Amino acid sequence: MHRGFRRRRTAVAAVGAVLAATALAACGSSDESSGPARLTWYINPDVGNADPTKGGQAQLAKECSDASGGKYTISVQLLPTSASDQRIQLLRRLAASESGMDLMSVDPAFVTEFAAAGYFAPVPTSMVDEFTADRVQSAIDASKYQGKLIAVPFWANTQLLWYKKSVAEKAGIDLGEPVTWDQLIAAARKTNTSIGVQSALYEGYSVWINALVAGAGGKIVENPDATYENIKLGLDSDAGREAAAIIAKVSSTGVGGPAMGTSQETQSLDLFTSPKGGFLVNWPYTYAAYTGDKSDVGAAIYPRTVEGKDSAPPFGGIEIAVGKYSKHVSLSYQAAACITDEQHQAAYMVASGNPASRKAAYDTDAVKKAFPGGIAALIRTSLDDAVPRPLSPYWGDISTALQQKFSPPGAVTEQTPAKAQQFILDVLKGKRLL
Amino acid sequence: METNVSDKVKTWLGVASIPIMVWTAIPLLWILATSLKSTAALADSTQNILGNFWPKHMTLDNYRLIFTGGASDLFVPALWHSIVVCLVSTVISVILATFCAYAIARLDFPGKGVILTTALAVSFFPVIAMVTPLFNLWRQIGLFDTLPGLIIPYLALTLPLSIWTLSAFFQQIPWEMEQAAQVDGATSWQAFRKVIAPLAAPGVFTTAIIAFFTAWNDFVFSSNLTSENARTVPAALAYFTGASQFEQPTGAICAAAVIVTIPVVILVLLFQRRIVSGLTSGAVKG
Amino acid sequence: MTTDSAATGTTRTKARLSDRARGERALGWRLAGPAFVIMLLVTLYPIAYAVYLSLFNYRLTDPAGRKFVFLRNYLTALTDPLFWQTFTTTFIIVVVTLVFELVLGMAIAMVMNKVVWPRKTLRTIVLIPYSIITVVSGFAWLFAAQVSTGFFNHWLHVFTFGAWNLEYDWFGGRWSSLTIICLSEIWKTTPFMSLLLLAGLAQVDSSMEEAAKVDGATWWQRFYKVILPNMKAALMVAVLFRTLDAVRIYDNPYIMTGGANKTMTLSMLVANETINRVEIGMGSALAVILFIIVLIIAFIFVRGFKVDLTGGTRGR
Repeated sequence: MHRGFRRRRTAVAAVGAVLAATALAACGSSDESSGPARLTWYINPDVGNADPTKGGQAQLAKECSDASGGKYTISVQLLPTSASDQRIQLLRRLAASESGMDLMSVDPAFVTEFAAAGYFAPVPTSMVDEFTADRVQSAIDASKYQGKLIAVPFWANTQLLWYKKSVAEKAGIDLGEPVTWDQLIAAARKTNTSIGVQSALYEGYSVWINALVAGAGGKIVENPDATYENIKLGLDSDAGREAAAIIAKVSSTGVGGPAMGTSQETQSLDLFTSPKGGFLVNWPYTYAAYTGDKSDVGAAIYPRTVEGKDSAPPFGGIEIAVGKYSKHVSLSYQAAACITDEQHQAAYMVASGNPASRKAAYDTDAVKKAFPGGIAALIRTSLDDAVPRPLSPYWGDISTALQQKFSPPGAVTEQTPAKAQQFILDVLKGKRLL
Repeated sequence: METNVSDKVKTWLGVASIPIMVWTAIPLLWILATSLKSTAALADSTQNILGNFWPKHMTLDNYRLIFTGGASDLFVPALWHSIVVCLVSTVISVILATFCAYAIARLDFPGKGVILTTALAVSFFPVIAMVTPLFNLWRQIGLFDTLPGLIIPYLALTLPLSIWTLSAFFQQIPWEMEQAAQVDGATSWQAFRKVIAPLAAPGVFTTAIIAFFTAWNDFVFSSNLTSENARTVPAALAYFTGASQFEQPTGAICAAAVIVTIPVVILVLLFQRRIVSGLTSGAVKG
Repeated sequence: MTTDSAATGTTRTKARLSDRARGERALGWRLAGPAFVIMLLVTLYPIAYAVYLSLFNYRLTDPAGRKFVFLRNYLTALTDPLFWQTFTTTFIIVVVTLVFELVLGMAIAMVMNKVVWPRKTLRTIVLIPYSIITVVSGFAWLFAAQVSTGFFNHWLHVFTFGAWNLEYDWFGGRWSSLTIICLSEIWKTTPFMSLLLLAGLAQVDSSMEEAAKVDGATWWQRFYKVILPNMKAALMVAVLFRTLDAVRIYDNPYIMTGGANKTMTLSMLVANETINRVEIGMGSALAVILFIIVLIIAFIFVRGFKVDLTGGTRGR
């Protein structure tokens, strides 16, 4: 009763469809051809994202492709907004030994982890001098692993204290002098304004915590080179408790804004832009991105954690790394050299608001014009004092554990640093989940 | 059934259905409204009406952003990946399931129960548990971030569902008609084509729609087994970026959400009755 | 194939029958086999591999440090407060969404069952949330509740005559976050629930209901004594389907909170260990635990509540 049912042939067709789909994809991925080498650059979001006309990394990619004289063309791939998502995207591809990972814009927080895993192609010794010349020291430090340069300093970031001049005046606070967080909170309360901070459960919160701890003279990780079994933390200390006290105070006084627990860079900038905005700690792009009246905006050095001790502004930015499995390592480093040359550094800083790692850029007129009123010089000063997050291969875990124990900001107490320290150690030793 | 319902009850039921429709429609309208807002309107409630719901001035900027602007590199390929991956996995699983369900409905062989129970167990399998083993295997054999690398796990989503739904459908087909047609002199191919195929086609078609919805909905596999070369829309939505780093991608996400919702809404509008019978026959049988 | 014999003769002997039965048997597996085998391959292999990986301390970025630890990952996971916190969160979501979906789904099903106008529109509109991508639903509710972009606070502000704080941060706390997550879940899946229940309602013999009505039973009595018992099978299947679905919840909380404020679910914990931390061994152990939880729930339903899932497909 089943005669004529073309089951076998159809079954073959079904299997064929699977094979065809596989073959199709295999064809799609082979793009080896003559002509310029095709480099892929994984960029983090900036002023232009994938648009090559807005002065962002996409434009640098285009200009360097054009300048290479037909040696290479760089196409950009945009990474997600958050640093944690960027890390996962890069990590997954690197772990899959993808050969298309030519150039990557990597957050310094993860450079060490990737370098330790052997995911980067080493910097050619002949180019080390070129990549370290004229760079701010913090950027060079953050591009090293075990004493060797493993990435190219691209731009060097640091946070400033932004304020509305009108609000500062009303509060009677002089921001020409370094201020403490306590003074700032008092000023915001007096004027019923806010202090924009980043305290969502994400990497930016660790940036804040690290800056507060370092500002009190402490270190979250005492020995960043150690293996996970021997690592020593300095969170359970006076410095750690000072940091916790400030976070708790920003939250409990309400100056952190209504959505402090979910506030990232953009939200804190929005808060600063809103009529309730008074103060903000944020990266220098704030100035370019601020949509309100810019003449009312001033900048100052990062607030101090404790009275009488210099603050430790956060260090950030982006290093350019070349993937170990790239088919064009040498060309990629040539491209990196073009991307980070003096002219592009200044141009990128002007367009994107992201500070250059080359000191010379700060003396150009364009940069001084883009960051007027001494802001350019302030950024350079701040970069000299800037303290990177601990350069440990386990920073990813440490940071996540830290954010978790400090979240929500409203629940931070005097005991939080000690609890966080114990938790981080347990996590690293595999005794706790994260 | 409707005949013994009094006018009063009719009116009352009609009234009762209004809040249901409103509750269902509001989030849909909200997505649409948000996709039509300008960047400024998204941050400023005074530029919107109805309690920050609908924009005073509608704009198609967000749609431009995802189709021709900065987000197009992310969205347009993702849309294609979604379409290709979902169609291929749907076709494969429906073809395989058709044979399987035909056998279950028509033939007597041991192990029917095992197949159906396995299908059910597999459909309850936590997909997240498959991600790590698959990622580890895929990265070693080069299937990471490829379309087949997504089609294969999608079979795990669509195949059990298809087997289950189609089996239920095929149970209801009066197979005797095929024999009757053959007795009347038709060849078995004719009997199949003229009698059985028209009876089975709606079930197969409905199953395909439901399988397609399931694949279309997947986020876990796509977000973890792909990068830009095979990423589908749900995963792309989570990685959206605004026109620049300073802009929230809210509007763009909503515009993309509207675009991917349109095809499923059209399918629902066209085949509402069949989808309902497919969803319920797979689960509840009389 | 071997089945031609069946059509050639009309006289049926015992031997021929068994011949035919054997033929059917072979054909049956030949037709059903490919689907069955592929289904097993794409799922059994990952399960087996996950079980294997779960016995190691294995970090993706440190393959040299891979170490066999036997069951230690399971021990660590099951004694960790975070595991139990995600377990609790998951089951809070399961119970809350299930209760609301059952009540709402039942109400919608009863309206759909009897409504005359707008019958078709109602059925179509109700079906749309089911077909929407979960991630889209997650974003819709996220943007609706967010302080800056949303309308929730504005509407609540109006409905409470100004008592509601316009700047209420729904995602600032555990319970308010979970409320929005549950709302999105309920919105998305109640239609499916109501369709399953509608199919159950359609099986209730209306004459029994009429008889009860004649006997003077109130609406509630009829619902409780006639309708519910008669659709118990459909009800239990719906509950089982939704429970097993909700236990695996991932998309909505991932999109809305990313697990902040103790809103992490079991699936998110698995993802966090394997994807964010690349602790593949521990992540696999958690994946296996999650799978076992699902199996236990299914077992309880099938054995404890006598849910018959395959019954209807046999013996026609």
